[in-house]
Amino acid sequence: MRRFDYLRPKSLKEALQLKKTIAGAKYISGGTDLIVQIKNRELQPTTLISLRSIPELARIEINGGARIGALATISDLIQHIELGHNYPVLIAAAKRLGSLQIRNVATTGGNLCNCSPSADMALPLLVLEAKVRLQSAKASREIPLSEFFKGPGKSCLSSDEIMTDILLEPPSQKTKATFLKKGRVKMDLAIASLALLVEIEGGRCRKARIAAGSVASMPLRLFDVEALLEGSTISKDSVSKAQQLARDTVSPITDLRATEEYRRHVVGVYMKRGLEKVFG
Amino acid sequence: MKAEISFILNGSEVNVTIDGHLRLIDILRNTMSLTGTKEGCGEGECGACTVIVDGRAVNSCLYPAHEIEGKSVTTIEGLRMPEHKLSEIQQAFVDNGAIQCGFCTPGMIMSAKALLDSNPNPSDEEIRDALQGNLCRCTGYVQIVEAVKSVAGQIMGKK
Ligand SMILES: Cc1cc2nc3c(=O)[nH]c(=O)nc-3n(C[C@H](O)[C@H](O)[C@H](O)COP(=O)(O)OP(=O)(O)OC[C@H]3O[C@@H](n4cnc5c(N)ncnc54)[C@H](O)[C@@H]3O)c2cc1C
Ligand code: FES
Ligand code: FES
Repeated sequence: MRRFDYLRPKSLKEALQLKKTIAGAKYISGGTDLIVQIKNRELQPTTLISLRSIPELARIEINGGARIGALATISDLIQHIELGHNYPVLIAAAKRLGSLQIRNVATTGGNLCNCSPSADMALPLLVLEAKVRLQSAKASREIPLSEFFKGPGKSCLSSDEIMTDILLEPPSQKTKATFLKKGRVKMDLAIASLALLVEIEGGRCRKARIAAGSVASMPLRLFDVEALLEGSTISKDSVSKAQQLARDTVSPITDLRATEEYRRHVVGVYMKRGLEKVFG
Repeated sequence: MKAEISFILNGSEVNVTIDGHLRLIDILRNTMSLTGTKEGCGEGECGACTVIVDGRAVNSCLYPAHEIEGKSVTTIEGLRMPEHKLSEIQQAFVDNGAIQCGFCTPGMIMSAKALLDSNPNPSDEEIRDALQGNLCRCTGYVQIVEAVKSVAGQIMGKK
């Protein structure tokens, strides 16, 4: 491995300050994406600034809604009983991320900031309409997660910002949600994945939030399919229309994990399966 | 830039001076000469490098060495019993034919130990889930799951 320095600031302020003063520095959280990228020479940082010694970044708070510190590990989420009770779809996705060894160090913020189209945590957080808080030395801003991703490896996070929190609205009793993921084996990155959240009243779909993974250049909200479903009664016909529109909306690629056609197919099937599941 | 770190390794405090780019597996194998921990893929896929840090199984090939400052690390060598006897879980692997070439075994046993320490009576599904990140090219996994189950049973029997 190429040489680099490793710093462990104890406060957010210190971390932000260090980043400004050191050329070629990168933040590291769990390192499960970053260390692999450095090993493969996709990145050659001069210095890694670790966020793991800043205690407030790893906290999970339930306050009506929830505040998940960006450094909370995937295992931290799974072990948090109240979080799982309030947002089961989040935990369903967390349990499907990597192996136990990976979940024990991989962080929620790292999963989002790495900006992979296959990021598993992005999907439940998109359908739960999470916001993320980004902090620079000068200012803090809150943006909807749906505006965060800009392409593979790209987000609206600027190089002097740290993601500090992921914020969730209070859970609604009226909604049902599900997460579906197709991997080559259980612990693999998704070939395609889908999260679905709906609010149903009298057989009618009042609200629909849908997100798909590994089928575009970033984790994708399927706004068109949401609009199609909202206000409609759920029937064989509307499910099949949603399935067709989901297939047409995504823009997957062929790579070593799967072909474009197969990914489109899986998204369609998951759209149908997800709706059947939540409408029981 | 070198830094001195101290941590607990298999129950004893150690101090080492390390470079920033080193990983936990480098410290274990090269600095401490504990070569029981194996490096297979070096990228989190195979689990051969699994050790326990503060009670949790982790891939030592992805773990920055600086992060073990103040933490407690257990490796396969930490399971050593007096008079060169094997620990219960190691003996169970031998007895159940869960070892062939042996390359995956230290990592597999550390994952199994982390599981049994936190959940002494796991279900088959919980065993398979805890071992999902450990690849074995030889045994076909059945004997490995049997070995872990046999220890779980023994622990239960002792209660
Ligand atoms: C074997 C293996 C299996 C995997 N399986 C899956 C899987 O099934 N699903 C999945 O989604 N992912 C998977 N991953 C990818 C990875 O584990 C996750 O994306 C993980 O959540 C990344 O988090 P991290 O804390 O390790 O990030 P890091 O590697 O520390 O960081 C990733 C990137 O984000 C930046 N960053 C991290 N935290 C912050 C922050 N708070 N503010 C600003 N920037 C930040 C870093 O600079 C870096 O560019 C797998 C990885 C491996 C090695
Ligand atoms: S060597 Fe660490 S997971 Fe393969
Ligand atoms: S015994 Fe050979 S890899 Fe498991």
